Parts: sequence; structure tokens; C-alpha cells
Amino acid sequence: MDATCNRLPRASASFLARRVSSFRASSIALWSRLAQNGYAINLAHGFPDFPAPEHIKQAAISAILEDYNQYRHVQAACDEVAKHFSETQGVQIDPTNITLCCGQSEAFAASIMAVVDVGDEVLLLDPCYETYEACIALAGGCPVYVRMKPPYWTIDMNMLEASISSRSKAIVVNSPHNPTGKVFSMQELTDIAELCVKYDLLAITDEVYEHITYGNAKHISLASLPGMVDRTVITSSLSKTFSVTGWRLGWAIAPPEIAPAVSNIHVKISDSAPAPFQEAAVIALRSSNDYFVSLRKEYEERRDFVLHMLRAVGFEAYFKPEGSMFVFVELPVSSTKDDVEYATELIEKAGVAIVPGHGFFHNNKRESENFNRFCIDGMGKDTHEYTRRYVRIAFCKSKSTLFSAARAWQSYPL
Amino acid sequence: MYGARSMSLCTKLVRVNELGWKQQASPTVHTSSLSSAAFTHRRCSVSSVMSTNGSVPSLPPQISRRLERFKTTIFTEMSILAVKHQAINLGQGFPNFDGPDFIKEAAIEAIKQGNNQYARGFGIPQLNAAIAERFYKDTGLLVDPEREVTVTSGCTEAIAASMIGLVNPGDEVILFAPFYDSYLATLSMVDATIKTVTLRPPDFAVPEKELREAFSSKTRAIMVNTPHNPTGKVFSLQELQLIASLCKQHDSLAFTDEVYHRLTFGAEHISLASLDGMYERTVTLNSLGKTFSLTGWKIGWAVAPPNLTWGVRQAHAFLTFATATPFQWAAVSALKAPDSFYKDLIADYSSKKDILVEGLKEVGFKVFEPKGTYFVMADHTPFGFASDVEFCKFLIEEVGVAAIPPSVFYTDPDDGKHLVRFAFCKDEDTLRQAVDRMKVKLKGKVVARTH
Repeated sequence: MDATCNRLPRASASFLARRVSSFRASSIALWSRLAQNGYAINLAHGFPDFPAPEHIKQAAISAILEDYNQYRHVQAACDEVAKHFSETQGVQIDPTNITLCCGQSEAFAASIMAVVDVGDEVLLLDPCYETYEACIALAGGCPVYVRMKPPYWTIDMNMLEASISSRSKAIVVNSPHNPTGKVFSMQELTDIAELCVKYDLLAITDEVYEHITYGNAKHISLASLPGMVDRTVITSSLSKTFSVTGWRLGWAIAPPEIAPAVSNIHVKISDSAPAPFQEAAVIALRSSNDYFVSLRKEYEERRDFVLHMLRAVGFEAYFKPEGSMFVFVELPVSSTKDDVEYATELIEKAGVAIVPGHGFFHNNKRESENFNRFCIDGMGKDTHEYTRRYVRIAFCKSKSTLFSAARAWQSYPL
Repeated sequence: MYGARSMSLCTKLVRVNELGWKQQASPTVHTSSLSSAAFTHRRCSVSSVMSTNGSVPSLPPQISRRLERFKTTIFTEMSILAVKHQAINLGQGFPNFDGPDFIKEAAIEAIKQGNNQYARGFGIPQLNAAIAERFYKDTGLLVDPEREVTVTSGCTEAIAASMIGLVNPGDEVILFAPFYDSYLATLSMVDATIKTVTLRPPDFAVPEKELREAFSSKTRAIMVNTPHNPTGKVFSLQELQLIASLCKQHDSLAFTDEVYHRLTFGAEHISLASLDGMYERTVTLNSLGKTFSLTGWKIGWAVAPPNLTWGVRQAHAFLTFATATPFQWAAVSALKAPDSFYKDLIADYSSKKDILVEGLKEVGFKVFEPKGTYFVMADHTPFGFASDVEFCKFLIEEVGVAAIPPSVFYTDPDDGKHLVRFAFCKDEDTLRQAVDRMKVKLKGKVVARTH
């Protein structure tokens, strides 16, 4: 910057702080908005279009009526989070190490900012949710991606270990996983835990889909593994479990040395989570086991329906999601389109919005190694690299929405 | 086997030069000890990140350096002490009464109607529109609700998003002391260099010479909070014009925190953005909480031209992603409140202010009557205490009233040690009781220092 007083005003782009200037708009939000603009059926965005449970809405309403509307820290909500975690994961947590945040989004941002310094590396298992990278960048850290291998999204532990460097600070573990629907197995978590202990890494988990698992898959928190509770920050929220994604009520559970830091950052970002919803969280987390059983059942039916529909329109769908509310499928071999072309045509012709998958795949610029696989069709011709061949479908929608989507999709020739 | 990564503060890694946020540049080799042994065990003994004596706390090694300057907040400390001594709390800056029924009902209706899922990240269209409409009524400025308004989780988040989105490490940002404590913390999180200009009693007027000197070619932005917490000052047109001319001269941005903009007593609130040449370089920040006594709902917003809004939105998207949907709907109703609501609000707060200000004068404080906000600063030195913290502790323990020692709001704590901040966002009975306690225990007493 020069010192003259009569220089020209800055160009728009240079106003942005460097740390945000490379961010792209959320592709999920983009496709969701395209859906809304064109009145397409929205299977893009991961929010339910069915109502939140009555008893939880009532709890929020009562809180508002009883004047719980000023800044508040509701300790009872922290107590319930601790109790719930202990019941589901068998790990005792001191409620004072819990920070209530504006959604898991904020809990994750605060956790990252609390522990990541400029230049610290954070390992991410790819494909992964688009915002982790941005939070890490905001903190000045470097994301290091380790690709899980399609079609079953297996983790090559040697590759993971080889990606750890002297700069590695933490690993992010999202299970049940967005976008693939993978639920990390005990073996995988054990292996990850061993690496964390061996290389003195922290773990930051995103467990928002913790209650949405299918069949025999059970959600296991990395924090419950040996040596991990003291080096794991767990983030989760009410959003997906209780279908209240718009309430912004999440939390971070951190080890005692880190918890005050997470809380400090959270307070500077947003001061407190919405007070009435903190109160509602107390009630929500006390929901009976029946609620969670029925939640899983409802989602499993939807998953099965969507898989059936996808197969009917030509997808192979090798990997059956074990959790979360998403199906992540590779385009059929017969289709020569890439994910964006396919998704675009699907909106235009069938009026169904899904998310092209390439935004979930990331490359490490500092390494040339990438697990690329080329599909060769019957003519011996290369088709697109697989990262441009996946699409994500959200099935957290009412049955009538899913039926309409299936009907419309079937009418669209592949 | 990877080398040891020395984690304790005394053998800290050499701070790498700014990598310029280009990810995946080959990492600079540290000069820390790189032995072939396994990683050093990272955890040290539990040491609180929160130190109150202002020194750099010894941080556990996992904690990022951006927290080095954080202290425990004075609000928490005073609140705990207040509860312990059952003191009447005139320290906390939020009401002990609730918001209007019509807004609460709107929130309830929204929840019942099922507006419980993610809102559009930068705000539901109806709220963006309501904010733009209100902004037009208040400032005369016409803004595009879709491109120039961003809804956030409270004004706190709007401030954080503005700084994260628009301020680079090393940029200079000017603050007026005394300042709301989160400005300093947020600016230190983005590694800005802070320049303070101190406002002094009795008028807390902007010192022109000091302000001119604070600006330089490195000034990225100035933060202006008007009406001002904790002094209750409302920046005058002349002061804002001075600030505006300096911003334009140095091509700086302005962030204005205007959360108390409806709480003025005989003074006119002016938005800096409405001055000539300022809209294009100003982010105007506001919230629902203070005006409508619903501070716990966390509905705030930023109004700025598209290029600045872009920065705010980029950061906001990764800080909280979206804002509580039912309360956004309620905010739409709130912002449509008729003029009579605001008249009543001011009348109500005026009488509260009078009870407290007159009471404090009678007790023996030198009071700096506020023109805005629900705070008042007073000089406590007639009572013989050397510092504000000592005075406030005495006030809680012996008099049974809690207030805030404002030295923490200054870069040089000495600038604030003779002052104390009271809040009058309390019901009138509470205010009268507090005044009575002070009349009984404080009036006419000059208390010698006990140590």
C-alpha cells in the first residue's frame, strides 16, 4: 500500500482478507438454491422436509414463554450432553468441558481455531464435507487429504501414516460419514487411535449423524478408544438427530486442557447459542430410546427406497450406506456424462436436484500421488476420472417427496 | 519415524513467515529440535488458559497461539462474586426483563409452523428485506437485501465475520478505548495490529490530534461503536465527519457497531455509513437483542456494499453457517414494530436512567450522564479506592451492588481505574433497591484503603 492520499480506491477483490479470498461458495447450497429457484425436488441439501418432533418444539416454545430469552449458559444442557454421551459411548465426561455452540458448524470452527496454529497440518479423510477445509484455512492450517478408496471407501492405513509429518497437529474423523454414508469400523478406529497416540495427534470428530445408523452398524466415537478421550474433541448437534437443523444447537466436548480454549473462541465468535434452544436441548436429549429406534427405522426405509430407485434407473450403488442420510453413488458405466452434466440434466429434465460429488474430493497440491482410476468402457475409451463421476443424494425427506423424486427420475432417460 | 515436535512454549517452533494462505506451499522447515525420537508427549499439567493478571498464560501445548492474549472475562468474575454476596447485579449488560410478547409469539408460531430447518446462510429473504427496509428508514440509504445484508448469530458473530473476512494479519485497526472487550480478542485472533485512541471524561470526546496520528498507510479499518459501550457516548456529527474524512484520506474501512442505535436520550444517532463517501467502505453492524430485550436469541446482521459483504459472508459461512430460523422469522415481526414501540422504549429507559443517574449523584459519584445505551460511567474516586477493581469488589462485598470495573476496556488499564460502569437495563424496583443500598452503605463515606 502506498502512502499517497489520492490513490484510487481499492478494487473489490483486494478488500477481502487473504484467508477467505480463495473460498468458493458452497456447492451444496448452490444446488439446493437451484432446486428452490426452479421448484425442483430437493435431494441436494441435508435438511429434512418433515417436521421436528412435537415434544422438542414444545420445549422450545415453553422456554420462550417462560422468558428464557436473554444470554444464557444452560448448564443442564451440558449435563445432558455428558449423560447422553456416557450412555451411548460408555465414556464419562465432565460437563464443564462441554461448550454449547451455534450448531456443530460453530463447534467445529471453534475447536479448529482453538488448536490449529499457522502452518499446522490437519489430516482429512477424503472425500469429505466441504467446510472442514475452510475452517482449517481460517486458522492458518494446512489440510492434508488422505483418499479413501472407492467403491467401499476403505482406508489405507499405510497411506494415512505416510501422510503424517512433523507438522501434523490433528486428524478430523467424520463418522457416520458425509457424503459416503460409511460408518467407521472398530478396526479402523482402533488403527486411527493408534496413529494418534503414536504421533501425538489430536482428533476432532464430527458425529452429527451419530444416531442415524443402519442394520448392525453401530456408531462408535473415536473418543471411546484407548488413549483417545484425552486427545479428542467431539463435535455434534441436535440438528440431524432431532430434525432441527435451523436451531443452531451444537456442542464441543473437549479434554480439560482444551475445553476452556474452545469456549473462549466460541464466546468471541457468537457469545452464546440461542437460549431457548439450549433449554429445548435438555428435553431433546432425554428422549426415550424409542425415539432413536424409530428414527433409525424411518431413515432406513428411506435409504432402502432410494437405493432401489437408483438401481432402477441404472446405478450400480456398490456401497450401501451404513449411516447418515446420504447415498453417494458412481454414475453408471453406460453414462458418458460427468457429475455436473448429469446433475444439470437431472434438474432440467426431471426436476430433481442432487449434488455433483466432485466438490467432496480434494487433492493435495504438495504430493503428486493420487488414487486415480480410469473407467474404460467397452470401446476401450477412457471416460472421466472417478472424482467427477459421483453424485450425492440426500434422503432425509418425506416419503411423498421421495416418491415424487423417484417418479420424476424414472422418466428421465439415462 | 518422525522427529520430535517440541511443544512446550519455551522451545517454541520458530514462527514461520506468513505463507500467504496459499495452501500446500511446501512447508517451511522449522528450526525446532528434530530428533529421531518419538513425538514429545504433548500434554503438560493442566494450566488454565484464563489468567486474570494480564500476563501471557502458560498455554497447554495443544492450544493455538491466537489465544495467548485471552483473559477470563471480567463479567464472569464479577457475576460469580455478585451471586456469592447476593449483590444486585448492575454489571451484566442484559435486561432482567423480557422481550415483547408479540415477538415471542412470532417465534413460537414459526416453530409450530415447522420453520426449524436450515435457513439460507446469509439470512431468510424476508428478514434481509426487513433489515433493508429498517436501514432505509433509519439512514436514508437504499441497500439490496440480497447482496448487501447478511444475518448472523448476534452482532458478536457479525463482528467476528467482518474481521475474519476483511482484516489481514499485520493490518492496523483503530479502536476507541474504552472498548467492548470482544473487539480486542477478535482482532488478536486475526493478528491485526491494534491502535487505540482514548476517550476521556467528562465528554469522552474524540481527541482529534490523537485520532489523526493513529491513522497511517497501514490502517485497514477503524471500529466505531456508537452509541458507545461503556461510556454511553453518542458520536456527534462533527466527530463522525472527522472519522469519515480520515477514512477517505487513508482509504480505510469502517466497522460500526450500532446495537444500541435505538437507545438514545436527546441525542441523534447517526450511522457513519450515511455520510458522504462512507457507505462504500463501511460495514454497519447491528442486532435484535438490545432493542427488543431478547439478547439470548442471537440475531444480528451486517449491512455493507457487495464487495465487503462478500468477505463477511465468506467468514460467516464457516463460523456458524446459518442463523436460528425461528428467531429470524420473529425478527421480521420485530423490525416491523411501529414508531410508538421505539418511543415507549426510550421513555422506559429514560426513567430507568434517571433513577440510576440521580441516585448515583446523590450517593456521591461523579456521574457522566449517558446520551445513549443503557450504561453509565461514573468516577468512584470520592470513595477513596485506588482502582476500579478494588472499588467494585468493595461495592459487591460491602454494599451489595455489582458493577463492572472498566479498566479492562482500555489498553492502558490506568486510564480506567478511577471509573466504574453501571447498567440500567433492569426493572425500576431493582434499580431503586440498588440505589438505596448505595445510599445506606456508601453515601458520605470516604473509605480509606485497607491495604
